[in-house]
Formats: sequence, C-alpha cells, structure tokens
Amino acid sequence: MEGVSTRGVLSHLSLLEDQASSRGSRVLQQPSRVKELRAKVEALTSQRDQLKAEIQTHKNLQKLRPSVDKRRAAGEEEDMDVDSESSELLRLMARHSELSDLLHAHHLIGGYDVIKTRQSKGMCFSLATVYEGVYLDTYNLEIDLRPKVRITRHNIPPFIPLNNLAEQSDLQTGLRAFLDTVSQHLNAFAGRKQQLKLVKEQHKSVEVMESNLLCSILVLMFTVPKEKTPLLCTLEYTDHARCLPTRVHLDSEDKRLPDAPQWKKNCSLLTEVPVHRALTAIRKSRDIV
Amino acid sequence: MDDSAKRLLQRLVRRIPTQMLRDTLDKWERLTAKQREFVDFTQSKWTITQELLAVCEERELSVKHIAELEMIYVIGNPNQGMWHTFQLVDAEDDAHSLELVQFKEQFKSHLSELKRNVAVKIKKHTDEAVWIRIAWGDTFSRPNHLKATYVVHYLQTPFVFVSGLLSKHKPLLLQALTLSTRHQGIKDANLSGQKLTAIRDLLMRQYQHVFPTKYPSPLAERNQSVSNLHIENEQAEASANRHRMAGEAFGNGMLPALQSAVYKLETKFRDLTNETMTERDKPLRCVVKFSSPNILESLRHCASTGIASTPVTPLLSSITLKGRNYFVITDNAPSASSQMCQTQD
Repeated sequence: MEGVSTRGVLSHLSLLEDQASSRGSRVLQQPSRVKELRAKVEALTSQRDQLKAEIQTHKNLQKLRPSVDKRRAAGEEEDMDVDSESSELLRLMARHSELSDLLHAHHLIGGYDVIKTRQSKGMCFSLATVYEGVYLDTYNLEIDLRPKVRITRHNIPPFIPLNNLAEQSDLQTGLRAFLDTVSQHLNAFAGRKQQLKLVKEQHKSVEVMESNLLCSILVLMFTVPKEKTPLLCTLEYTDHARCLPTRVHLDSEDKRLPDAPQWKKNCSLLTEVPVHRALTAIRKSRDIV
Repeated sequence: MDDSAKRLLQRLVRRIPTQMLRDTLDKWERLTAKQREFVDFTQSKWTITQELLAVCEERELSVKHIAELEMIYVIGNPNQGMWHTFQLVDAEDDAHSLELVQFKEQFKSHLSELKRNVAVKIKKHTDEAVWIRIAWGDTFSRPNHLKATYVVHYLQTPFVFVSGLLSKHKPLLLQALTLSTRHQGIKDANLSGQKLTAIRDLLMRQYQHVFPTKYPSPLAERNQSVSNLHIENEQAEASANRHRMAGEAFGNGMLPALQSAVYKLETKFRDLTNETMTERDKPLRCVVKFSSPNILESLRHCASTGIASTPVTPLLSSITLKGRNYFVITDNAPSASSQMCQTQD
C-alpha cells in the first residue's frame, strides 16, 4: 500500500515538473502563436465582411427582380442608397440572375415548355421543332398523370408512330426518355420536310419524282450536262430519327455513270450533308445542270 | 370504242358540270388542242356527248382511257358520294418503310389473286395521297366501269378512305389492302362523310388545335358590343372560359366540315317520371343523329355560348379526340364500341 501511493505521488510530481518545464518553453512560442491567431482572425473577419456584402447584394437583387418586370418608380430603391450607375448595374445583374434561374429550371425539365392542367393532375408539353436555326411547327402532348401516365390528346400527325414509341419507352417510369424520343423524331421529320422544301425552292432544275408524307423517301431526277442524260437519285431515310439519308442509290440508262468516281463521291456527299446543300455543291462542280 | 366506253363517257358528261368538264378534259391530255376546240361547250349536254364520242373514236380511246378521265374528275372533286374510313392495325416491321412502287405492285397482285377480271388504276396525287380506282368483274364478266370503287390512302398512315364499295367486294378489298400495306388487320374506323377532305383533315390533325398555354390569347378583340359594356363585364370570365373549353374540345378557326354524328344508344331508359319504361330490363334502342353543314363548328358554338354544358362532355369531344363520328353507347362503357386504344386513336 505504501509503495503504490508513493509511486502515485512521485509520478505525479514528476509529471507536474515536466509540465512546468514545457510550459516554460511554450511561453516562449506565444508571440508567434499570437501572430498566427491574429492573422487568422483578420482572414476570418474579411471573409465575413465579404459574405455580408454578398448577402446584401443578393437581398438588393431580390428586391429588384419583381420591379425589373414592372418598372416601378425609384421610390422602391430608396433603402438601397446606391448611386444611379451601380443601380443600373444591379438591375442588369438582377435580370441576369433571373434569366439564368429560368434557364436552369427549363434545363431541369428537359427543355420542354410544360404547363400543369386539370388541377395538377395532368401536364401539357410543347415540343418545338427547329432546323438550321429556324423554328418550325410546334407540337403538343397532353398527358394525364393519375391514376397512371397516359397520353390524352395531341396534335402529332399519324405518320409519326406515337403508339409504338410510347410502348417502347415505358411511360410510367421513363416519361422524359419518351418525350426525348418523340422530340427527336419530330425534329428529324421537320428537318427532312424543310430540306425538301428548300430543294424545291433552290434547285428548280432538279425534279422531285417521289416523296411521301413522312419525308422518308425522296426520288430526284438530275440532268447530266453534256448529253442531257437523266439520272435518277433515290434517297432512303430509313432511320426516321435522323435528317440525313441512310442510303443513296443512282439509276441511269448509261450504266457506267453511277460507277464514275465523281458520282461515287457525290453519293457519299449526299449521305453526309443535307440534300439541299449537297445539291448546291454538286451543281457548282457542274456534275448536274 | 366499245359499248362500255361509250356508256361511261355518256355517264361522265351527264354527271360533270360543263365548266368542270372543260377543265377535266384539259388535264386529261388525251385529246389534241384542235379536238378540244372542236367540242362546243355552249351546246346541250347531249350535243357535247356526241361530239366527244366522235373525237374519242378518232383517237381510238378505250374504256381504260375514259376511266382515267373519271379518275381525274373524282380526284379534283373528292367531296361527293359517301366515304368510309378504315384503319389498318398491327403493322409489320417493314410497314413504315413501305415505298410507293412496292405498294402498287403488291396491291395489284394481291387483288388480282383474290378476284379475276378486276381493272385497277393507281395514281399518286400531289398531296402524297395514293388514289386507287377499281372496276370489279368476275370469271364470267368484264370489269364494270360504271360502278367503280375509289380508295384513298396516305402511305405511312393507318387510314384508308373508301367510296363506292359493294359489301360483296369488301372482304377482298380489305384483305388486299392489309397485305399490300404490310399490316395484320384492318378495322372500321367509324368515321364517314360526304366530304373526303373533311374526314381526312380530321384524322391527319390538319386543323388548328388549342392546347393549354401559359399565355392564352386575350379575348378582348372578339366582337364586343360597346353598348352592353356592363353586362359583358359580368359575364366576361365565364364566357372566356367557355370559349377556351370549346376551343380545346373542337379546335380553333376553320374546322373540318364533318356533316353528321351518329350515336347508337343501347342504354336503359332513365326517367323517374315514367315508371313503365324505366321498369323494362332491356335497353332502349335508339339512334341520335346530329346533322349540320359543319357539325364541329355547330358543336363548338353550342359549347361556347353555353347551350351545351362545359367542360364539353366526352360524348361530343370524342368526335375530334378519337376522329370518329359513329358511336355505340352502352351502359357500362359510355363512349366505347369495340376496340379502344388508350393513347391514340
């Protein structure tokens, strides 16, 4: 018993001695430590000030946002007390932040214009079609969400196989994928239709022999300059989700013509480039009239 | 020129109004300009017939050529007779890439396999419609060109429009169509009418649809009589709602000129004041038919003025939604007949 307590006291005493000696050395480190801490304090303060300024700007911007649309009087901006130049800047920043939020939301819903219908039990999607930077027709789909997802109404023409596409992508879980596929088909169709229209407008020397509602086949009659031989060109668009043909086929009375090297080149050009532009190039190289 | 050609020509001259006859003959391109000038269109129809007969004899035209003339006339004036719609179902995999040449060959070969002695003429119109004229004969008789059937089909769509078809020829025609368009079946689409352009526009969705949008057009421009300003204000919102709902159900602007809608009711009689009738177990059969020069516009007007209640009942809005004008209504399923697809009809 005595041994233990003696050990305990002695070890405690030695511990205290160690601490005293180390504290002594620590006292020597204090100025640098203090410097460190001071610097840290400064950094944190400036960060806090920065954040405070950002919050303030955001608050001002939020205040500004409704008024950017309605152009209220300057009375609203009294509590901001900034000079006119930076208020103009703030207005622009407000508009910018509003628009980028809108774009972000639009991107989240897949880029389609959506509107709720039937007290939020349904939605109406607007699918726009675009080709070469020009907006073409817009198609709409009204979809009921409860009790299960189904299409109720739409104005998509019957040669776009909507039923098949709906069966392929499960409507219940993959509505977004379905809409993306439909949009792809519609845009491809609009693109092919527009190309046909441009061919008729820009290339009057080329005769359109056959086409169809879906614009999935195009048969054109070319006239070769020298002997005025007619050349029949068939463009097959078997992939209805694309604007470019999958196969180009030439027919002529002169059997050697389709095998000529420049016509093989023209054929491959027709599969790579939209038909109206390909025709411009082919006519420029004087392969056809 | 044989007898049937002469009779067909006589029929045509009788049927076609004189001014249109001249235009049709020009499009026909079977007569020279000199021959066309020879025919005096100011005379009576009988004289015109005689002159045309003489000119056609000169050209040694046959009944096939006269049939061509009839086809040109019908294509240019399709809103006559009675057109019935059929819908192809269960497309095969290659149905969607069907080409015109393929379809023509297949149709002709299938039909002639099914029936001997049929005269088939197929013509593609500029609006991508494929027109088929069929003169039916059989093993013992030549094709009857006086009672030809006309068929209109747009490739890659499931719809076929038929006019002038006898019931004995119906199964043959439908089978030939199903096979040549690479489908497995065909059914009645329950849409019929005199105006081909109207039923076609309805099914091809070629009219102005109205969908809910965030920015509906303001109704302020619509004929507002200034004198009743105060009364109008009271009703303005309700009226605007009715207009909008009517537009959503039927469409905006010019609507396809459908001329009738028929509802065949097989429902039980319901009237609390008439016990004798209500007691009967069997359904009361009756047919309700709406007729109008343009039934869709009439119904839209009914809905927008409040004569018909809004939101528009599915019984009426199904005409545009499902593209049909014949409905059988039973107690269990209010607007069902045989097959009803949920997504698109």
